[in-house]
Amino acid sequence: MNDRAAADSAPDAQAAYRVLVVDDDPDMVAFLARLLKREGMSVETAVNGESALMQVMTAPPDLVLLDVMMPGTSGFDVCRQLKGDEATALIPIVLVTALEDSESRVRGIEAGADDFLSKPVRREELIARVKTLRRLHDTRKELESRRLAAEVQRKEAIRKAFSRYISPRLADRITEAAGEHGDPFQGRAQRTSVVALFADLRGFTRLTEKNEVGAVVAMLNEYFAVLTEAAYQHDGTIFNMAGDSLLVGFNVPFAQPDAAERAWHTALEMVARFGPVAASWRERHGLEVGVGIGMCAGEAIIGNVGSTHYASYTIIGNPVNTAARLMQMAAAGEVLVCGPLYERIRHLVPAARVATRGDVTLRGKSESIPVFAVRAGAHEHA
Amino acid sequence: MTANIHTVIIAKDLADLIPVFFRNRQKEVETLRTALAAGDFEQLRQLGHRMKGVGNSYGFARVSEIGKRVEDGAKAGDKTAIDACIREYADYLSKVQVVYE
Repeated sequence: MNDRAAADSAPDAQAAYRVLVVDDDPDMVAFLARLLKREGMSVETAVNGESALMQVMTAPPDLVLLDVMMPGTSGFDVCRQLKGDEATALIPIVLVTALEDSESRVRGIEAGADDFLSKPVRREELIARVKTLRRLHDTRKELESRRLAAEVQRKEAIRKAFSRYISPRLADRITEAAGEHGDPFQGRAQRTSVVALFADLRGFTRLTEKNEVGAVVAMLNEYFAVLTEAAYQHDGTIFNMAGDSLLVGFNVPFAQPDAAERAWHTALEMVARFGPVAASWRERHGLEVGVGIGMCAGEAIIGNVGSTHYASYTIIGNPVNTAARLMQMAAAGEVLVCGPLYERIRHLVPAARVATRGDVTLRGKSESIPVFAVRAGAHEHA
Repeated sequence: MTANIHTVIIAKDLADLIPVFFRNRQKEVETLRTALAAGDFEQLRQLGHRMKGVGNSYGFARVSEIGKRVEDGAKAGDKTAIDACIREYADYLSKVQVVYE
């Protein structure tokens, strides 16, 4: 068979379409392989059903040209096995049957064959059928790759959009969740337990009065950069950034059983990270500034609020309002914590730094709540 | 020049496959004879079926035609008819001439 082998081993590096020809008659295999190779296809061969199955499993081809009548495992059996296996079910199979053998065609359809070719094989018919299946195969591949590309693009867009507001780790989790359950932010307003942390800049008004607009913006950017870093460090979600205040939520959008601890460490981190910035402003601008923080835990409503044109992922409820009021009351470097939240973090807070404010009635609130004041400093940040 | 009924026109791109094709057909004659002597009609049917498929695929209509008769004879258990087919097949293979186009 040296002459055949030489002719059929013509280089076909560019032939991406791979056909497996299965027939127990070596002359039939040589004939079919020759015609397919002339069309630029890459051809592999098998002389019985068993070796065909093995070859498909080890290197799945793009199409199988399968003789029906073979000793041992018949073409029907091979077809049935390949179509019954999820990994190979999509590989097109052309069954090669005798022209007058309508019974074989019926059995072939039942076995899952995609098309039929009559023996004796007419060259034009073979090429036409294989080319048609190739076009279908290419179209399916193209659609699949477009779908994958769109999916990647969509996930990247979600990741980019949210990575401005949440930590990169959370952004990745949301991107993953988007693939499995749809957009986790869409249409699912819900009431849930949260920890709200509000931070703002003490001395901000003087800052705006004493500096030009460009300088103020640069300083605010510097300030928000360190606070955002601190929030992301502990996987907080930034819900709002207005003026000089920042609202960070915990236990949203994903559950954080240690939300209280995360919020506490974030507060410490904010004060600690802002320390060097404040020192440099003091030196450069003669400003006395510091971060004041209010924190509270409780039930809040989380969801997209707005219109079809503009909506924002928002957190609404008592803990948010209370945290905002506490922030307003906090001095520079001070963290004011509502009672229920303090109970959850008291094991982390050095007692010497804590002062109770007693029960405080907050502006706009009818009931008073216990409030604890903690002096934060870089040296306390464990 | 009279038309030779044993002349077969074959596509040029199959030329290098033809010598092997004929070697396998000669072997086939021997296998047919052996199967007939053994009265193995199932093998005769399979051999006839194979001849029917491969012959005309290459362009040898006569091989397919004889193959069909072998297959039918095997199904009918007709030894005499098959014997005649095998003789005709051997005779054809000894006379056939191929022209490549």
